[in-house]
Amino acid sequence: MSTILEEIETQIAGLKTSTSKSNVGIVRETGDGVARIEGLSDVMLNEMIEFSSGVFGLALNLEETEVGAILLGETSGVKEGDEARTTGKLLQVPVGKALLGRVVNTLGQPLDGKGPIRAEAAYPLEKIAPGVIKRKSVNQPVQTGIMAIDAMIPIGRGQRELIIGDRATGKSAVAIDTIISQAKQNKAAEEGRLKDHRPLYCIYVAIGQKNSNVARALAVLEANGAMPYTTIVSAPASDTATNQYLAPFAGAAMGEWFMDNGMDALIIYDDLSKHAVAYRQVSLVLKRPSGREAYPGDVFYLHSRLLERSARVTEEAGGGSVTALPIIETQAGDVSAYIPTNVISITDGQIYLETDLFYQGVRPAISVGLSVSRVGSAAQIKAIKQVAGKIKLDLAQFRELAAFAQFGSDLDAGTKARLDRGQRIVELFKQTQYSPIAVEEQVAILWAMQNGYLDSVPVDKVKQFQTKLQDYLRSRKEGVLNAIVSKKTIDKDLETELAAALDEFKSTNTF
Amino acid sequence: MKINKDIRQTSRQLLRSSFTDGQLDSGRVAALVKSLIEKKPRNYVQVLDAYKRLLRLEIEKRTATIESASELNSTAAAEIVANLKQRYGADLATQFAVNPELLGGMRIRVGSDVWDSSVRNRLQRLQAQL
Repeated sequence: MSTILEEIETQIAGLKTSTSKSNVGIVRETGDGVARIEGLSDVMLNEMIEFSSGVFGLALNLEETEVGAILLGETSGVKEGDEARTTGKLLQVPVGKALLGRVVNTLGQPLDGKGPIRAEAAYPLEKIAPGVIKRKSVNQPVQTGIMAIDAMIPIGRGQRELIIGDRATGKSAVAIDTIISQAKQNKAAEEGRLKDHRPLYCIYVAIGQKNSNVARALAVLEANGAMPYTTIVSAPASDTATNQYLAPFAGAAMGEWFMDNGMDALIIYDDLSKHAVAYRQVSLVLKRPSGREAYPGDVFYLHSRLLERSARVTEEAGGGSVTALPIIETQAGDVSAYIPTNVISITDGQIYLETDLFYQGVRPAISVGLSVSRVGSAAQIKAIKQVAGKIKLDLAQFRELAAFAQFGSDLDAGTKARLDRGQRIVELFKQTQYSPIAVEEQVAILWAMQNGYLDSVPVDKVKQFQTKLQDYLRSRKEGVLNAIVSKKTIDKDLETELAAALDEFKSTNTF
Repeated sequence: MKINKDIRQTSRQLLRSSFTDGQLDSGRVAALVKSLIEKKPRNYVQVLDAYKRLLRLEIEKRTATIESASELNSTAAAEIVANLKQRYGADLATQFAVNPELLGGMRIRVGSDVWDSSVRNRLQRLQAQL
């Protein structure tokens, strides 16, 4: 008790002597979440401004005699004639492990009613991305648990992989599945089942989404035990444009803390199209000149500086990483619109989801031809590379031949074999939601496919074959799976073990 | 208030030419306004409005407003004025006001800069800290 009294006394003593100097301005105009302030001659760009009503703002436009600021929080408290003063601070959010398992708003304040967050540090929202010296090439995988992605469009830690597609094609589902997969691996590593696994913490930033969607995502993550490793930053559609514009930067700051402390983080920006729209609104009410589709001139910089912050840093700089999975919603499959092309050019590849495939029942509806990963293949483990190396080519050939297959049945044996193989791969890559597949099981399944164990299985039984095989391997041949995990490559011994296991499986099951 | 580029540029030009030797010259200001009203160029009312605003900001920059909770005695006032002039230059105009809401102490404002040693400010800061 006495220490508290002493503390207050020293604070009072400090106040007695000091005369505070501040730089002030007068609010001349306010509305739509922005204020124009006359004066504030010493204000800095992106500096926090405090209004006399206690509301904070962010100085975005510095003009000759005026300052344009966006308001954070309750905007109705700011009136014309109010005094505003500079604070000399940048906008900060709480960061650290205390945020895991929580749902917070753009400013890092809890929304889940689980009490206050005792964060160990605060990071500024805007930070310069790590430079060339601090960076290292991507060499560790992010196992999404989605077989099509892990095999053909691998994602590495520190990569930026765009998820792009029309509405209702399963973009968020891919992201949520990835989070669930990380949680499963983190848990397995904690229990000692997964050696040398670096935990990957997830941050899901929901921008301009319906509150019900966020609630559903939260429920799914909780039901799958993923929340202990996840933070949700929510700036729903009902939030101000200011908060929606700042939310991804808050998420990035939270991710950077993990990176700076030698840990790995995964950030999902869901979605950046709505983010661009929110920024357009802010820019237009600030009377900034508009460009194409009324977006301001710096909308490219907005996204590039955000996504540049994901990186994999060297051991000297901590050895952590921030992986980003931005999501973009296209209109009627138009990837050449302004924002999609911008983000495609910034990221290190994209996963393109197609409406047609989705309705054909190919889910996740990943279009193999249009999806690429520019750096991730360096991060794949060798075993996956061995079994998945040719799959993309096989599938591409299948797509080409599929058009001919409709014309007639008199095909040569080679073409027929390719078609059969292609149909089975497509079938294998279908995967139900919220059920990520562990990497060792992926290897075993793809190995079986590569070595012709599926050729005799009818196409409509492939899925059944796969689930039964997974069950069989998990329950009867754990040794083989463990060997894949520990060796990370398929050598001669493992090959004979796998062959023996599959022969036994096929002899006991008929399809 | 919608101001177009021409109006802004003209008013800025007017402000630039209202100085002699770096100081606002009331004679020149009066002459400029008079000639503008006589010639009536396009948008001259808006130009005058913008010019007035720029002048007000310019004058505010060179005026110190000294608020105190009670009337200051003449020696203290003179000392404050001398101090301020040393800091901001001899052409600084001063203006005294009594504001009981400050509770005690002083609050000096020059342009956008504010020095606040009032009791009200200290209480507010204390409140923010606790």
